[in-house]
Amino acid sequence: MSYTVVGKPLGNLEGPAKVTGAATFTADVILPEMIWGKVLRSPLPHARILSIDTSEAEQLPGVLAVLTARDLPDTLTGRVVYDTPVLARDRVRFIGEKVAVVAAEDPDVAEDALSLIEVEYEELPAVFDSEEAMKSDAPLLHPDYRSYPHAPEKFFSDVPNVHSHVTWQVGDIEEGFAQAKEIFEHNFTTHSQHQGFIEPHASVVSVDPDGRTHLWITNKMPVRAQKLLADAVEIPQEQVVVHPVCIGGDFGGKGSLMDSPLCYHLSKRTGRPVKMVMTYTEELMAGNPRHPTTISLRTGVTEKGKVVAFQARVVFDSGAYAGFKPVPLVNIPGANSAAGVYGTPNVTIDAYSVYTNCVPSGHVRAPGDLQVTFAVESSMDLIAEAMGIDLLEFRKQNLIRDGDLLPDGHRLEQVRIRETLEAAVKSSNWGKPKAHPFVGRGVAAAYRHIGTGEANAQMSLESDGIVKVITPVPDTGTGAHTLIQKVVAETWPLPVEQVEVEARPDLFETDSGAGGSRVTYVVGQLVKEMTEELRDSVGRLAAEALECQVAEVAFEAGHYSVKGSADSALTLAQVAEAGSGRPELSIRKTQVNREAPQVTTFTAQVVELEVDPETGQIKILDVVTSHDVGTIINPLAHQGQIDGGLIQGIGFGMMEEVVMEDGQVSTLHLGDYKLPNMKDIPPLKTVLVQEEIGPAPFQSKAIGESSITPVAAAIANAVYDAVGVRFYDLPITAEKVYRALQERGSRGE
Amino acid sequence: MASDREMTQTIRLRVNGKDHTVQVPARRLLVDCLRYDLGLTGTKEGCSVGVCGACTVLMDGQPISSCLALAVFADGKEIVTVEGISGEEKLDKIQQSFIDHGGFQCGMCTPGMVVTAKALLEQNPNPSPDEIKEWMMGNLCRCTGYYQIIESIQRAAAETSDA
Repeated sequence: MSYTVVGKPLGNLEGPAKVTGAATFTADVILPEMIWGKVLRSPLPHARILSIDTSEAEQLPGVLAVLTARDLPDTLTGRVVYDTPVLARDRVRFIGEKVAVVAAEDPDVAEDALSLIEVEYEELPAVFDSEEAMKSDAPLLHPDYRSYPHAPEKFFSDVPNVHSHVTWQVGDIEEGFAQAKEIFEHNFTTHSQHQGFIEPHASVVSVDPDGRTHLWITNKMPVRAQKLLADAVEIPQEQVVVHPVCIGGDFGGKGSLMDSPLCYHLSKRTGRPVKMVMTYTEELMAGNPRHPTTISLRTGVTEKGKVVAFQARVVFDSGAYAGFKPVPLVNIPGANSAAGVYGTPNVTIDAYSVYTNCVPSGHVRAPGDLQVTFAVESSMDLIAEAMGIDLLEFRKQNLIRDGDLLPDGHRLEQVRIRETLEAAVKSSNWGKPKAHPFVGRGVAAAYRHIGTGEANAQMSLESDGIVKVITPVPDTGTGAHTLIQKVVAETWPLPVEQVEVEARPDLFETDSGAGGSRVTYVVGQLVKEMTEELRDSVGRLAAEALECQVAEVAFEAGHYSVKGSADSALTLAQVAEAGSGRPELSIRKTQVNREAPQVTTFTAQVVELEVDPETGQIKILDVVTSHDVGTIINPLAHQGQIDGGLIQGIGFGMMEEVVMEDGQVSTLHLGDYKLPNMKDIPPLKTVLVQEEIGPAPFQSKAIGESSITPVAAAIANAVYDAVGVRFYDLPITAEKVYRALQERGSRGE
Repeated sequence: MASDREMTQTIRLRVNGKDHTVQVPARRLLVDCLRYDLGLTGTKEGCSVGVCGACTVLMDGQPISSCLALAVFADGKEIVTVEGISGEEKLDKIQQSFIDHGGFQCGMCTPGMVVTAKALLEQNPNPSPDEIKEWMMGNLCRCTGYYQIIESIQRAAAETSDA
């Protein structure tokens, strides 16, 4: 197909505001009489609160309010299950849990006041490891879990501290193992990764005298935030008005209320607007980082190298609260891809989400997928080597094929994993001689579902001839608004300048917002259909105004005319004027996509790296990332997603870790928590295996969570290829490589 | 914003060509002074420890982390923030290039990136990719993976040197 707008690189329409500093993020909201809130956090991982004395803090000049749980309604909050107190009531469950909040005229004074609050605790036995937490003698962190609002009854478990146990299966696992010649067992662990967005969480709340509650929040699901805040502070949802703001990076992490209920209570108490901005230290000690995970795999393989049975036990460390999990399972559905890009006929995957006295975990770009992909793609190399089969051939003979039934119940069509993998290998140095000793190459692949959810929009032809789209989806930086603009412009067709997009989440009652590789498919599809409907209505109005049949109307170069006579051509503005007041010029729709499409996206990567045997330092020399894509709507944004995800994946694989010891985070600022910088990025080759077969508008597909997923596994496999050391836990830092090489040396190997 | 017991100081600074006299508590950080005393919220605060570069401003032409500098440190100094990079009507070449070549996504690091890149091109109008990386490594971006930022700066430089 040839398109006029689709496929052309287009800078995000928010560009001018963002490059000049005019774009408004939550922390930029300044209201008259605004004051500041700061929270006091627990220094203990598990303790009973015996008393809190706030009297001295209240006396500090400039302090306007000090609140503890006793001043608040007894509610719990969360994205699905409501298990998280707004302030700890009788006990704290992790280091960093909120126990009191101060409002002051100045943020520094609020901070000073925190040091004047006296809290008396009685320490309780704590558990910091998810496997330990599942033992019968472990302390129970949430004995009342089953009574929490929205706790998922279907996934309750009798195992201690397990708040959700989900099983995905296909075929008969015992039968599968019975067919196997060899059975392999491998165990892997992964770590906690922060989303690393540059904008820490922030909230501003202003409560009017009549109770109307204005909310500005770092939240990519602002419509839902209205509902969650209303529930958390016990007011009707209609009273909450969420105002649109730019989101300074999301990566899955910005869907919770964070400090906004506290802002509400402080505003209610003081009659002033209240702002709370988390410091990055608070982000690292009490944000919602990626789940540390333990993964046990059992793989049955026939003599000819066919994988016939695959069993995975995946344990996610939820930390102290499960409230950051956004899906009804209250688990991490990415675990359902634990069998990788292989069409194994007999698979059982058990995913346990477990409470511990650690930082509560949340969603981070491709949640669960990264962890299980590291495991399965490492195990494929291990098995291939053990069986003496070429690791590429071993993969190829087990790949998913069209129509294979997967553990999540899907049968995929138009499967392009073979082409994607072959393209990655072909574009890399695979099989070629290596320039240096200690150079290694690793391959890994993954697939990612295209997201589902609810989309809403309002679309109208304005009197000035502009087509205006009002969306509840905020701008998180992925270019969602530009995508909407392009879809409308292409569908009609109109110049992009004639399409305006405005975020107004307050005009909607429900919506899935941004995330889950959803927007291009779910929102794009809805907007395309609405454009067709509005365009047809406008065509009919044009026919009326031109006094001709609809079939006789021509639309060319932005003008409506009677076919064959260009004299009386009408602009969109003139048609809008002629149809002024007509209801069909402003439409509103909701669409819910519950089932993930049968066509999905595959990624394959080859990483080439060099290990310094003296220091353990890994230098990535070259990365090839290969993606099976449909039509690309905006090449600039599409490549931006690939690039950003890949570097985030490198961070996960070898640089970043929220280091915790007995529940205490020791990487408490971005000097210790190492986000990749500009000098850390390797040469990158992107390969697009393109075919116009996507389910999203113009046969496009999702891309946002693709490139991040296989990176860590490809690095692990390449490190093994380089120095013969296999890593079963992430991240693979220079320190770990150094230690492993030292140990091997001391064993005289 | 100051509480009664705090020591305050009067500072004079020139920001984006405009003179300001501000009374600030001695411990007020420059980033807070710019954002909240002067209302210039284009300058962002990310990490608060001088690592991420989101708060970068130019002080007498040199990029500094305004989250590490006390406001009193800027007394008598000339500051340029992202709001002062473009002309009245037209975006600076660097800003336009960031839009045209995907140099930003969420926009949170962008003000610091633009300001730091501006300082780079002032000193080195035609930087190599390695020089760009060396100069810009103190500005973190989580969205883009940096490739399109490097391209944005290179293209802006090419345009500048062609002109």
